[in-house]
Amino acid sequence: MSLIKLTGLEKIYQQGKIEVPALRGIDMEIESGEFTTIFGPSGSGKTTLLNMIGCLDKSTAGEIIFDGHSINDLDNKELAEVRRYNLGFVFQSYNLIPVLTAFENVEFAIRLIDKHSKKERKDKVMSLLEEVGLGDMAHRRPNELSGGQKQRVAIARALIKEPKLVLADEPTANLDSETSQEVLELMKEMNEELNTTFIFSTHDPQVMDYARRLIEIKDGKISKDQRRD
Amino acid sequence: MFFLRMAFKNLTRHKRRTIITALIIAFAILIYVMTDGLMLGMTEMSFDNIINLESGHLQVVDQNYWEDRKELPLKNLITPSAELEAEIKKTAGYVAMTKRLKFAVNLNNGIDELPVTGVGIDLGQDDKVFELQNYLVEGRMPEADSSEIIMGAKLAELMDFKTGDYAVMLIRTEEKTFNTIDGEIVGLFNTPHPSLNESNVFLPLSTAQDRLNTKGKISHYAVRLSDQNQALTAAEELSTRLEAPLQAYSWKDAAKSLVTMIEMQDIETQVVLAVILTLAAVGIINTVILSALERMEELGMMKALGMHEREIVYTFMGEAAGIGVIGGIMGIIMGIIGLSIFNINGIDISTITAGGDMTYGFPLSGTIYAGWEISSFIFVFIYGIIVSVLASIFPALWAARKDPVKAIYHR
Ligand SMILES: Nc1ncnc2c1ncn2[C@@H]1O[C@H](COP(=O)(O)OP(=O)(O)OP(=O)(O)O)[C@@H](O)[C@H]1O
Ligand SMILES: [Mg+2]
Repeated sequence: MSLIKLTGLEKIYQQGKIEVPALRGIDMEIESGEFTTIFGPSGSGKTTLLNMIGCLDKSTAGEIIFDGHSINDLDNKELAEVRRYNLGFVFQSYNLIPVLTAFENVEFAIRLIDKHSKKERKDKVMSLLEEVGLGDMAHRRPNELSGGQKQRVAIARALIKEPKLVLADEPTANLDSETSQEVLELMKEMNEELNTTFIFSTHDPQVMDYARRLIEIKDGKISKDQRRD
Repeated sequence: MFFLRMAFKNLTRHKRRTIITALIIAFAILIYVMTDGLMLGMTEMSFDNIINLESGHLQVVDQNYWEDRKELPLKNLITPSAELEAEIKKTAGYVAMTKRLKFAVNLNNGIDELPVTGVGIDLGQDDKVFELQNYLVEGRMPEADSSEIIMGAKLAELMDFKTGDYAVMLIRTEEKTFNTIDGEIVGLFNTPHPSLNESNVFLPLSTAQDRLNTKGKISHYAVRLSDQNQALTAAEELSTRLEAPLQAYSWKDAAKSLVTMIEMQDIETQVVLAVILTLAAVGIINTVILSALERMEELGMMKALGMHEREIVYTFMGEAAGIGVIGGIMGIIMGIIGLSIFNINGIDISTITAGGDMTYGFPLSGTIYAGWEISSFIFVFIYGIIVSVLASIFPALWAARKDPVKAIYHR
């Protein structure tokens, strides 16, 4: 059984009286443990697609099956529950909370599913921070970290709940190419170690090289879907 | 707890904004604390004036007299007796008692006539219950059984009397016949109770009884207790032992109209507080909206992570509560400083009332001092926090309901 199955997915944005089709019939399946990139020109619908998969937005037509359950009929509250327990997000601009330390930013995410004791939580956060290479920066605030370090914190925040799926919309767009590669390296490492499914979007051909599956979309449709091993 | 901690950390993001918003609340609290302190001071002093100069702690009267007492009737008077006095003395906390006879007088200086209140006082006993003689500004108290009188310096000035002058007091006896007392003015007083200064003439009880032909009767006994707070229960208890139609009334009964007025004033103070805090609430709303707008991406992230609207609202409420606490502490400190400064010299009430005699209905004059009440500090502190938190709910809900996609991508 695939982790995600999209059938005939369509999204039409309403801009005043004009209808803007962003996705025009997407069919795809993502297996658990895949490391997939979605690429395509600007305005092709990458962000829209990731938002649909990430249960952040609702489709106009078609079906999304997540982990065997259709999420089409869920209301906002139920979608939030799905995100809370199953999904991790990495954003282009990190979206860390500036008044919290790196440690607390990661802790924040696990607090939401609070099933750990204080001690467990602390150990978990620390060991993950060490794994993303920030063990000695746990008590720094975001403004004391570089862009790459911030994105590492964000990756740790996405992974701390051990989600089934991590979605990253252009995670390296704000980073230089060397740092981008480091971040991708880290994501790939985590994918292999924890078997977490990753889907990320990008423009950057260098970044695409890390993916084991490349899905290209153009004009709201999949134009290429290729697996590499 | 984590969210509350985060909320407090959020307060450090824009320290100046936090402080300014808190200051608005502090200012509201300062005004309330000052107003309330002043009212409390005036209330306490007014009650003191009523107790020390007008009613004592308890009054024993015929209940039919009590109803008409404002008209100073000579009906339903009481006959003093040793048994009655023995009964009164048994009251818990009893210190002293005295007899008084009040009556209507037309005071005449040969040209003008002025209606005033005459009070016959038991000269050996009166100063054990009342403090009138402490306020003599000229001359002395009357001799017992004489036709010497004292009056307020203000009244004397109004009627052009000096000590040593004779004042003609026109009175009507119990049988409605006219009589006069030629009172020699031997003293003038100036009490902090304005109506006493303006319209009361005091003379020996026996002289009053004689000219009014009351045959030894008095209008009431006034009783002093060791503790004014016992007066209410003491009055009730004593009433059960008295034979009808006699009844004991506490100073609170005597000051009923003042008590009502103070309750009204209290409501006014609350309304003022509510209005100012509403303004402060606008400040809170503004702050929450600004914060939410600045943190849109974070809010989007929080929603993407599956944080409930409720949790986001709590975080903002926690922030607002924090502002309320800071404002409350600043406001109370400012209030205490303000009251202390005020109480160094007090304030001459005539400067507030522009020299007039009207003291907003309070029976007091001279220098007034503000009172303190911890309970009202606590009240306004908590009230400020509650208002802050309530004010934050609406903008916080607005922020929490933002669509996550729109919040993340600023759409
Ligand atoms: N909220 C919206 N309202 C109207 N149109 C929208 C909205 N969001 C996206 N679109 C349109 O939908 C299409 C797909 O947008 P989307 O953001 O998914 O593209 P993208 O591939 O992520 O582009 P980029 O590489 O620039 O991020 C575009 O034409 C865009 O203008
Ligand atoms: Mg995009």
